[in-house]
Amino acid sequence: MSKIVVIDDEAFILMMIEDKLKKAGFKVVTLRESINAMSVVKNEMPDLIILDWMMPELSGIELCKMLKSDPKTNAIPVFMLTAKGQEADEQLGFKCGVARYITKPFSPKALLEIIEETLGKP
Amino acid sequence: MFKQKITYRLLLIFIFFALVLVIPLTLTIRKEVNNMIAEEEKTIAPSYEERIIHDKFSERFTDSLIVFSFYTFILAIILSLFFSKNLLTPIRELYRGAKSLKDGNLGFRLEVTTGDELGEVMRSFNEMAAALEKKTDDLKKKELYIGAMMDPLWVVDKDNIITEINPAFTKLFGYDRDEVIGGSIYDFLDEENARIMRYQLDEREKGVSSIYEVSIISKDGSHIPVLITGAPIIKDGETAEKIGILKDFRMESQLRDAIKESRDYLETIMNSIEDELIVVDKEFRIIMSNKSVEAKYGGRVIGEYCHFALHGTTTPCWHKGENCPAKRVFETGNIYRTLHQHRDPGGKRLFYEIVACPIKDAKDNVIHVIELMRDVTGRKEYEENIAQKNRELTALNSIAGILSRSLKSEDIFSSVLNKLLEVTNMDGGAIFLIDEMNRELICSHYKGISEEFLKVAGRMRVGEDIPGRVAATGQLMTTQDIGTDHRIERSILRHSGMKGYCAVPVCGKERIVGVFCLFSFKPHVFTPEEERLLTSVGEITGLAIENIKLYEKMKQLYEYQRQRRADDHKNLLSISSKLASALDIKTVMNSTLDLIRWSFRADIVWLLEIENGNLILKANSGIAIKEGKAIYEEGTSSIEWYAIEKKEPIIVPAITSEAKFYLSDYIDSSYKSAVCVPVYLGEKALGALTLYYSISRELREDDIHFLQTVSSILAVSLERSELYEKTLMQRERSETILQSISDGIMTVDNKCRIISINKAASDITGIPKEGIIGSQCCEIFNYTEENTDFRWSLGDCLDSALEGKSANVETQLIKTNGKKISVMINSSPLINLKGEVVGVVHVLRNITREKEIDRMKTEFVRIVSHQFRTPLSAIVGMTEMIINEDIKGEKAKEYLRTVHSEGSRLSEMVSDLLDIARIERGEDVFRENDIEFSSLIEDIERLFSSNIEKKKGKLTSHIEGDIAGFKGDKEKIFQLIKNIVDNSIIFSDEGCKINIDISRKGEDMQLKITDNGWGIPDEDLPHMTERFYRGKHGQEVKGTGLGLSLCKDIVTGHGGSIAFDSKVGKGTTVTVLLPLRRRS
Repeated sequence: MSKIVVIDDEAFILMMIEDKLKKAGFKVVTLRESINAMSVVKNEMPDLIILDWMMPELSGIELCKMLKSDPKTNAIPVFMLTAKGQEADEQLGFKCGVARYITKPFSPKALLEIIEETLGKP
Repeated sequence: MFKQKITYRLLLIFIFFALVLVIPLTLTIRKEVNNMIAEEEKTIAPSYEERIIHDKFSERFTDSLIVFSFYTFILAIILSLFFSKNLLTPIRELYRGAKSLKDGNLGFRLEVTTGDELGEVMRSFNEMAAALEKKTDDLKKKELYIGAMMDPLWVVDKDNIITEINPAFTKLFGYDRDEVIGGSIYDFLDEENARIMRYQLDEREKGVSSIYEVSIISKDGSHIPVLITGAPIIKDGETAEKIGILKDFRMESQLRDAIKESRDYLETIMNSIEDELIVVDKEFRIIMSNKSVEAKYGGRVIGEYCHFALHGTTTPCWHKGENCPAKRVFETGNIYRTLHQHRDPGGKRLFYEIVACPIKDAKDNVIHVIELMRDVTGRKEYEENIAQKNRELTALNSIAGILSRSLKSEDIFSSVLNKLLEVTNMDGGAIFLIDEMNRELICSHYKGISEEFLKVAGRMRVGEDIPGRVAATGQLMTTQDIGTDHRIERSILRHSGMKGYCAVPVCGKERIVGVFCLFSFKPHVFTPEEERLLTSVGEITGLAIENIKLYEKMKQLYEYQRQRRADDHKNLLSISSKLASALDIKTVMNSTLDLIRWSFRADIVWLLEIENGNLILKANSGIAIKEGKAIYEEGTSSIEWYAIEKKEPIIVPAITSEAKFYLSDYIDSSYKSAVCVPVYLGEKALGALTLYYSISRELREDDIHFLQTVSSILAVSLERSELYEKTLMQRERSETILQSISDGIMTVDNKCRIISINKAASDITGIPKEGIIGSQCCEIFNYTEENTDFRWSLGDCLDSALEGKSANVETQLIKTNGKKISVMINSSPLINLKGEVVGVVHVLRNITREKEIDRMKTEFVRIVSHQFRTPLSAIVGMTEMIINEDIKGEKAKEYLRTVHSEGSRLSEMVSDLLDIARIERGEDVFRENDIEFSSLIEDIERLFSSNIEKKKGKLTSHIEGDIAGFKGDKEKIFQLIKNIVDNSIIFSDEGCKINIDISRKGEDMQLKITDNGWGIPDEDLPHMTERFYRGKHGQEVKGTGLGLSLCKDIVTGHGGSIAFDSKVGKGTTVTVLLPLRRRS
């Protein structure tokens, strides 16, 4: 069963994604604080990470850079799920190694489809 | 004989042997046998038979012994013969061999027949014979050599007796061998040669070899010179004999004599050559020379280096760049002719014509060089004398040329002095001219003298010092050395370092006009030719100076005339240009009249203008009267009115005698004459220009012309001045309008030069107005490279406008203070009445603020859309899941709650925005409530309790002092504190400490909120209250960028102020001051 780590400081976003993905058969680990995310990811070694950009203490983009520069985690695809909808932001995201850039508000159904595109149906 | 002796001896030996040994032995045996028989007979008595037997036996035995002895004897003879033969044969052979050797048959060899000792002896004999033969052959060979030797040879023993000679000796000296061998060596020598020989033989005794020359007396009594190679013959370490090989030296001797003779001959020839001749080797040493050389260069020069002997220098002359003939010949191998300088031992310079020839060896290498040197010093000196004379003549000629060509005394003196110095080879000089008035000599031109010296010696009275005396007497004066010349007792020149000196009178037609002096720093003997030359130069220079003086007088006169004319033109030009370009006509007119007064040397000059029928003073010079004063009323019979009436200049040579003219009070009796020129513009009389003189003066015609010209210029100017004043007023008005326009206006002509710039343009660009009129409009912005785009844009607009098309462009400009602004340039063509484009008007507008508002709007939309996206996610996403029935039951309710709360957040944000908009538009009214701060703070604490707890922080508050009088909008004050505290929490780490301090500060209430959060970077501090401004930290957290902006609006609405004090990493303090009594 594919494992997905979701990191966002908004609880309802985590709740929504967790419910949708679990129902679809994925194993989901949610995280509200990005500061510990690195160790959680290394511990869980998920198949996919979904990240918010704007988070206190450690922004999603910084975290993405850290994940991509660590040989242990750099192979895990990262989806950026963010309210930052500017084209420049999107480009920066891709530059930092983001695999898919999804802007809020988003459709959980569409998100699931994209995930299944990447990981296949669980 | 020899045979018999040996045979006999052997025979005797054997017979003796037989006799001595055989006979006693036989006798003894017989006796013993008889004894034995007798013994036996004694013992055994023999029978008779037996005795007979015994006697018979004895007899037979004796007979047998005799036979035995006889045979033995015979055998001995046979043996002796046999042995003697065997022994004799080899001995005989040896004998024969020895004899053969003795006879000289060295090739004889014995036949060795036996291997015994005799055989060995014979073999040894053969070897000995072979060795002897070889030795003899060697000796024979040597003898042959000696015999074959061409050179005579002798061998002398210890007593100097000749022991050996060879046939060559006999052949050369005629002596037979026998005549020489055994004779003393000294028999063949005369006394002198014997002495040499004695010495040489002693040397041989010491074991020394040598070659020496003696003469040997031959048999015919002649002395034959020989070269003897003598060597000792050493035996057992001692000189046993002495051998000498004598070489016939007659030929060499003759040759030597011939050489000596030819050498003497050569020397005689060389010495008989008058020219000097030397031969130098490759090291430049003289190896031969003739007597002329020795006579010239003082003694022997052989062995000396040629440069030392002939030049007196220790270094070769080519080291000093001179041309060395010998070196050249050594290098080229060819004959070389040249003129060369030498110095005799006294240091005198000698000129030589040299012919240098190579002496080559068999391989064609130059081994020596012969230099034939002809002293041409005399000729050279003669030539130089001629050249000098030529130079002098040329100099005289050229001086005459200079004098005739130039009429400038400066040129003449300079050229003459230079020429004289060149010709006479002197170091310097001066030309004095006589000042007839003061009877003084004044230096007019000089060379080679310092200015200090000139101050002392550049001026003297006639009769004083050498030049003065020459000026007084007119006699040339020369001296070889000033210092030692007894004629010169007192002179400032004596200690000047000058030695050779001459002073030459410069004679004019009737008198002496000056003196020229020449000097050198070394003694100089003036030859009569030089003195003649100098005198001639003095004379022709004198004439030339007189000519010059005459010419200069004429020139002065001409120059005066020319100058006057030029001054007139200049003045006219000056007046006309001043008046033409005049802006302040009054000042210019006054200065024009000053110029006329100065130029015409008048005492008063005035310009009267017709105004309302009176003549009013327009401008004046030389008298203090205020402009505008009426001088002559209409109808008075003044000179001016008369001239105006006549329309022509009036000259009054004597004012007082002309009773018909009425004079103003300003013109008193001290003024004697006057000139008045009417001022007309076409037919319109404008006034009159009058010059008054205190002396009687008559002006020339050209002066009157000049004044007429001036008057016509003045007419135009007067007319113009009125127009100008009107224009000036108009211009001031336009200028005021231009300057008061808020847009920057810069006008340029069609050459892009700035014509005008208003204050707003100066303010916008930062470029001061002063001093830029006339500058290229694009160039004034090139103080920074960053303005390149701006200049291009301005240039494009300019080009477009010059083509008659308006253009506008938005661009950015770096002001002179470095600030970057956005500028809108609007350029329009400046068109004159004829419809021609004569320039461009640029309108510059600072659109920075407008651009900023645009930017802020864009930013607002960006942030708002961003901030709205998160709550919208809940609404969109969660409702989608509910609709799709992903979520049901209780969970769906929770979802709906979230949708609701996020919807509320969205609504709050919208409210915030609306609040700000309202406050900014001034629509919001601030209520005045009494505020209970303690409860308000409690509400705040309650509001943030969960957030504070999450961050493990602490929120404290402190209220003190009398703040009871404060009235404000409670909701807004709550929002103010909430927003600030919210920021403090958001921008802090765990363990944050936030303190709210409310106190009274004078007439204000002070609200101070302090945190220990991240702090605000310096660059963000000035922008804290700007709407939508998100500082460095703002990028990392959610927010609208409106909170503090709203705070500022609230504070401003209450008439207070807000300030931020922060340090990154330490924390922030926000201080809000709100007046206790709200000012209306």
